[in-house]
Amino acid sequence: MKLARKFALLAGLSLLPACSTIGAGDYGYSSYALVEVRPRAVGDGSLTVTPPRPYNRHRSILWQDVGDVEDWTQNGPYLDGISFVSGLKSGRYLVRQSKRADQQVPKFRSDMTPPEIAAMLESLYRVRGGAVEFRTLSLQPRPFLGTNGFQLDYEHLDSDECGARAGRSAPSSTASFT
Amino acid sequence: MCRCCPGLNRRSLLAGGAAAAAALTTGRAEARILPKDMVPLIGPGFRPVDKDEQGIWQLMDRAEEEIAGSNLLITDPRLTLYLKEIIGRVGGPAAKDFRIYLAHIPDFNAMMFPTGFAVVFSGLLLRMRNEAQLAGVIAHESGHFLRRHQIRSWRDQRRKTDIFSIAAMAAGVGGAGAGVYLGDYVQLAQLGTLLSLFQYSREMEAEADAMGARLIAEAGYEPTEMSAIWQQLIGEETASARYRRKHRRRGSLFDTHPSEPARMADLKIDAEEVRQTGRTYEVGKERYLATIAGIRPTLLDDQVKLNDPGASQYLIETLAQDGWNGLLRYYEGEVWRLRNRRGDDVRAGQSYAAAVGYPDAPADAWRWHGISLMKAGRGAEAKSAFARYLTMKPDAADAAWVRQMIG
Repeated sequence: MKLARKFALLAGLSLLPACSTIGAGDYGYSSYALVEVRPRAVGDGSLTVTPPRPYNRHRSILWQDVGDVEDWTQNGPYLDGISFVSGLKSGRYLVRQSKRADQQVPKFRSDMTPPEIAAMLESLYRVRGGAVEFRTLSLQPRPFLGTNGFQLDYEHLDSDECGARAGRSAPSSTASFT
Repeated sequence: MCRCCPGLNRRSLLAGGAAAAAALTTGRAEARILPKDMVPLIGPGFRPVDKDEQGIWQLMDRAEEEIAGSNLLITDPRLTLYLKEIIGRVGGPAAKDFRIYLAHIPDFNAMMFPTGFAVVFSGLLLRMRNEAQLAGVIAHESGHFLRRHQIRSWRDQRRKTDIFSIAAMAAGVGGAGAGVYLGDYVQLAQLGTLLSLFQYSREMEAEADAMGARLIAEAGYEPTEMSAIWQQLIGEETASARYRRKHRRRGSLFDTHPSEPARMADLKIDAEEVRQTGRTYEVGKERYLATIAGIRPTLLDDQVKLNDPGASQYLIETLAQDGWNGLLRYYEGEVWRLRNRRGDDVRAGQSYAAAVGYPDAPADAWRWHGISLMKAGRGAEAKSAFARYLTMKPDAADAAWVRQMIG
């Protein structure tokens, strides 16, 4: 049996509207691009999405420097966002990180079970997103992209005290058993 | 022990320039500060009379209002009362005036603000092995207030150069405004600017150590536990750095804190000086462990999920010196699983298997034990472990997935 080779993930987050916007300019969100309402290839191009309404594509916050990732927002990344991860290969990471960094986002492996992928995402939010609390609300099987996926609902409290942010992920390993 | 200060201070110094840096470090204490010389400079119910200090107090009162309402605070009444009782015991003449807050941040840190309120990070509770150690950190912070370090530091910095103050403020604002977790409290309530103005000198840190040793000994705590804290910290940082193939950061000219080995050495001598012949001193291990028992899984979770395997494994093995249990074995497995190197899945599986052999194994240990067995092709045993997980946690967030696995 050959292990699954690719990984696709759809992750969204929404924030409470009362959040402070201090520091928003420091991120340098300069590369916004309109996403029109029509089919559009995202991530590594293997996934096509048709948005129900116009979005803004923007530079990544959490999912840095990985070519297989694409981030959209409607009202700005502090308020809402949706990320597409597609074609992530086994043994790779969701983010680019120094091998010498004390705290690291765990490596993705194609034989990960849903709880393992959920834990990887939790560490991503804790290590890169500044989450000091992370709560899994629901993890349940769900078909995704025509294969066995799952839906993860979660909320996290970050050190910017911005209230609990809610999130939902729908990952799927496009397994190829040979 | 206000460990956030070195990082901030380095940034401030770099921003302020070499001249300011040289000026700041001239206050370095070469001689050891003696506990017997550490007398409190204020009495009960202290209120400032000078205009500049009154101004600082007004600002800090507002800051405390924000912190008191922060959703990062852990408000468990048992824990907050416990901290209040400890600061009431080691707070010297200001014991009844102190306020103390517990912030949910997985770092080894604590800090005292100029008006007499302290903030303890949850990561500190994970690392302390007994009440005497926790009391030692709180006593150290109390020492800053009793020796009036904040106002002395503020006046000292103002006297040196306005350029430095501005640079320090800019560094603080930059840290607070970056929107990225910096591992300290500067982001909370956007206090970076204010905190950056109260950098303690090495001499002040040494004073607070000596004062702290004196305070805990007077309160009946084993004074040698303060040096044990630094021994553990050095061990943790060394383990973390070694794992990432780098050297532990050591004190430099730009550090305003004495280096940890120097502090550990001084505190060992302090402990002998403050000890009174014939008096017994308590460590308070059982009381401490019983009080934090409810939050310990969260503390371990916070640490281990940061995926700093060297530090986490060191911490778990240190805590296990008081005895292995299901909780520690489970988190040992979590360290290996998140590290995810070749063979770590087997190591993690062994730890989960060991964890579920203890009566206190958490439900999650059974879930991961089941996943480990499933991936090893031991389906029947995996289903049994999953069933045990659901029995212990019928409302688990992933119950639907686990049921699917059971089939």
